[in-house]
Amino acid sequence: MSGDKSEKLVTFEQQALPLMPQLYGAALRWTRNPSDAEDLVQETFAKAFAAWDKFQQGTNLKAWLFRIMTNTHINLYNKRNKDQAKTALDDLEDWQVGSGESVTSSTNRSAELEALDNLPANIIREAMDQIPDEFRMVVYYAVVEGLPYAEIAEVMDTPVGTVMSRLHRGKKLLRTLLQDYARQEGYDVSEKEES
Amino acid sequence: MKQVDCEDVKRNVHEYLHSAMVESEIEVITAHIANCDSCEQHYDIEVVFNQVIQRSCDEAPTEELAERVMRRLREAQDHD
Repeated sequence: MSGDKSEKLVTFEQQALPLMPQLYGAALRWTRNPSDAEDLVQETFAKAFAAWDKFQQGTNLKAWLFRIMTNTHINLYNKRNKDQAKTALDDLEDWQVGSGESVTSSTNRSAELEALDNLPANIIREAMDQIPDEFRMVVYYAVVEGLPYAEIAEVMDTPVGTVMSRLHRGKKLLRTLLQDYARQEGYDVSEKEES
Repeated sequence: MKQVDCEDVKRNVHEYLHSAMVESEIEVITAHIANCDSCEQHYDIEVVFNQVIQRSCDEAPTEELAERVMRRLREAQDHD
């Protein structure tokens, strides 16, 4: 352990470190396990500290950190190929993506509401972890972090239109998975769509 | 006021809940939902769905992680 903290470290500690819970939450969704999430948070902070001179005070620090996390994750796991994370799912037509909105009668809808509300947190997280990374992260940033579309686009390095379509599709996929689970648990949710 | 049908309203649920629309569009949809049970239920499900997702993603980092990060930053500082 060394002696005095530099001014840079003091400022970074005051401004960036309080965002650790938010970074950890996002890291957990990227990596899907606590130990990798901790590594990702640590790497992200290390990279952010190294680039701290480039952060423009007054701009959105959380979005800046999330962006560094996206790049760090991609570098660590070499997930994306050259054409920037375009997934097969992006190319499907809307009707091909899940049956999330095919709910018909209102009885089924209130049953679905009740089922959703009663699903245990770990089931929701497991379902989240089953949808593709790029969709899961958009849902996470939109729903949990409440980031505006334009910021999500920057964090994920994709156009705003892609953010919108991934949010719609991500939630549709998630809802289909949760409906399946609710049905297994005996809730009378929507009929399974014939395909 | 611009007319919207149920399909438009349902398609825009995320933009509406996310305030990613201009005020006038929000007003049109709010007015539609007030008079349409089917769309209202559709929106209710999405609202509950969002709450459920928020609730399930609230895991906190350990104290130990904060210590690890601080150690790492100290090391980086010493190499500056």
